[in-house]
Amino acid sequence: MLTGMQPIFTRDAVMPERATTLGRLEEVVSSAEEFDRVVSQGLPILLDRATGYVKRFLRETGQWSEDMAHEKFVLRWGAEYLERFVVCGRSEVPCRSLFLLDSLVARQLSQPEPFCYHPDLLTPLGRLLDGLVARAVISRDALIALYHHCYGWGPGEVIAVTGLNESESQRIYKNFRRWRDSGWQRTMDEIGMTETEVKELIGQQQRHRQRLNSEAERIIRFAQAHYRKSEPDHYPCLSRSQWKEMFAQGYGCDYRIWHLALCLDCLQTAWDLGRNGDSTIEKPHVELHMRP
Amino acid sequence: MEQERDLADYRARLLDALRVNVGRSACGSSDLIQVFVNERRVGLLDGAGTEAALQVQTSTRIDNVQLRSEDGVLLGGLSAPEYGYRTGRIALSRDTIKLQVHNHTQGGSVNAVYIPAPGLWHRAWQTVTAVVQTRVARPATAVVPGMRAVAFTQVLLAATVIGLATDRMTGWLTPERAPLPVTPTEAPWAAPLAEVAKLEQQLGELARMQAKAVETIQGQQQGMAQLQRTMAKLSSTQEAVASSVLTVKQEMEQRRKGSGRDIDRMTRLLMSKTQTEQEQLEAEIHSLTVANDRLSKEMADLAQNNQDLKKKLKSAGLDVSKATVSDRDKPMVARQGETIQSSQPPQVAEARPNAQPQPFLFWVTFSEGTTQESIDQWLREVQGHKGPISEGWQEVQIVPPSIPPDRFLEQVRGAKIVKAVRTSR
Repeated sequence: MLTGMQPIFTRDAVMPERATTLGRLEEVVSSAEEFDRVVSQGLPILLDRATGYVKRFLRETGQWSEDMAHEKFVLRWGAEYLERFVVCGRSEVPCRSLFLLDSLVARQLSQPEPFCYHPDLLTPLGRLLDGLVARAVISRDALIALYHHCYGWGPGEVIAVTGLNESESQRIYKNFRRWRDSGWQRTMDEIGMTETEVKELIGQQQRHRQRLNSEAERIIRFAQAHYRKSEPDHYPCLSRSQWKEMFAQGYGCDYRIWHLALCLDCLQTAWDLGRNGDSTIEKPHVELHMRP
Repeated sequence: MEQERDLADYRARLLDALRVNVGRSACGSSDLIQVFVNERRVGLLDGAGTEAALQVQTSTRIDNVQLRSEDGVLLGGLSAPEYGYRTGRIALSRDTIKLQVHNHTQGGSVNAVYIPAPGLWHRAWQTVTAVVQTRVARPATAVVPGMRAVAFTQVLLAATVIGLATDRMTGWLTPERAPLPVTPTEAPWAAPLAEVAKLEQQLGELARMQAKAVETIQGQQQGMAQLQRTMAKLSSTQEAVASSVLTVKQEMEQRRKGSGRDIDRMTRLLMSKTQTEQEQLEAEIHSLTVANDRLSKEMADLAQNNQDLKKKLKSAGLDVSKATVSDRDKPMVARQGETIQSSQPPQVAEARPNAQPQPFLFWVTFSEGTTQESIDQWLREVQGHKGPISEGWQEVQIVPPSIPPDRFLEQVRGAKIVKAVRTSR
């Protein structure tokens, strides 16, 4: 995909200080410590480079528009790739940092559907939901919080619906607390949601509750279908009888938590199997909650 | 303008987040750590203070391995090689995770081991053990292990005494030493008691360390003894193998020599047999030649006799014709005489061999110790007549046998008393 790309930054186009940093990034680093030092000094350059590649990818695939939402989108994914480079690149030394980043981004963008892109996901509501579901793939706190943001459930409802035992229940409370304390805000920062945008969404929900929830369900289904592919291969959708057997025999605790959070259809199929006679919980339907 | 500022703020926040990275996680050391392979969650490492391990095998090539906390922060990772192994140690706040990734032709595998940080006492014990092991592992094997323990204890005691003396000296030299919380009446006894208690505590610790050191040394000794036993067993096995090899070599040599002797013996046997057969063949040829000469001579005699008979018959016929009176009968008599003349000689010629069959001659030698009676009895059995003895060979004449001469001679050789047979002198 990136084969034949022209260099995004040339030495003539950058300031002398930047050119020096760029020169260091092009040189061979021979130890992990040197890699950390050079990369931390060149983070802005590396972020621009990764962002530039993502932007170029969107242009070449006809998905680019000159607006703030697209700029934020490419920044978000550029930072995502750069984080993986910073952490995993240390194990590749000796290497040339800049070219190692190029190869990592090239590998990522060469995969089918490297990221979840849809014009509807570039609206404030789309960015919020996409950010939450994307975070749920890598964070258990965000995964458990999806039950709250999508259906308005607290820890008790989550424990009842997923049929968890005592020891697993404690983790659910911890997940909720950590998400409220720092997880939600960090996610908003990483997807570029401002406080103003969140407030606007809350206002829209108050004015047009039904319409916003309906729009949210459509986006949630789309995002879930994309990010569910990141689940383990052995977590496919099940029929009600299969879910019933799993709940009755008490196995597949992790399966239940992960899949039901990322599949609205399965949740609506199996929502009443693990309640243990708790009739206060209604059949789940999307009821969006912006804040944790 | 506001949007540009918003975008710049967003970029700055992302860069800050990248700089802080691992420190962003709000998870504690007791929380689970998620393991991702190729951006897919494959398992959890339970880092609740104990060592834990996770092994994952994939059917596709592994590109990268990532470790994330429960709140999603990327704690560490490893880029997998195209082919082969790569290992890495991810240092968390106190603990460590050892990652090993292996790519092969049919997929890949990941091995993650959570190693919790060792406790204070564990670290102290490890230090002491390392010192002891270093001392024990020295090549001065001539020193008795017990002596090493004593020496080590002495070193420890000396270090403790020096430490105490230093402590006392620094105490004397330091003017602003904190006063002990004792009353003046207790002062003369309190300081020595405190010192004694401190000394007691240190000696107790020293004794425990010494005991552990001795245990370690004993363990090392046992290990060495076991190693020596293993070495002895190994050397004896080696000797046995060497002797076996030598035996095999000797056997191979003997077999080689033995096979040479066998070949020589076989060759000699074959040659002697061939020679015997050749001699027998020559004897048979000679006897055949003699018989042939005799037959030629007899043929010549017979031809001479035949000529004589023809002459006699001719003269007899002339006498008869002269004596006959009738002329008509002459020709008839003459014809009859011619008929008789022409038919008689063959009758005479054929009648003579039938009357005197040619005897079959052969020579035998008898086994040592054979009595004359046995020889006579054997001659009677074969219906033979003794001839002269020449150079140990007894001539025997028999009526020509009904079976071929070769088979007859074989039968003669098969007799117990007969040593050898030949048909020529």
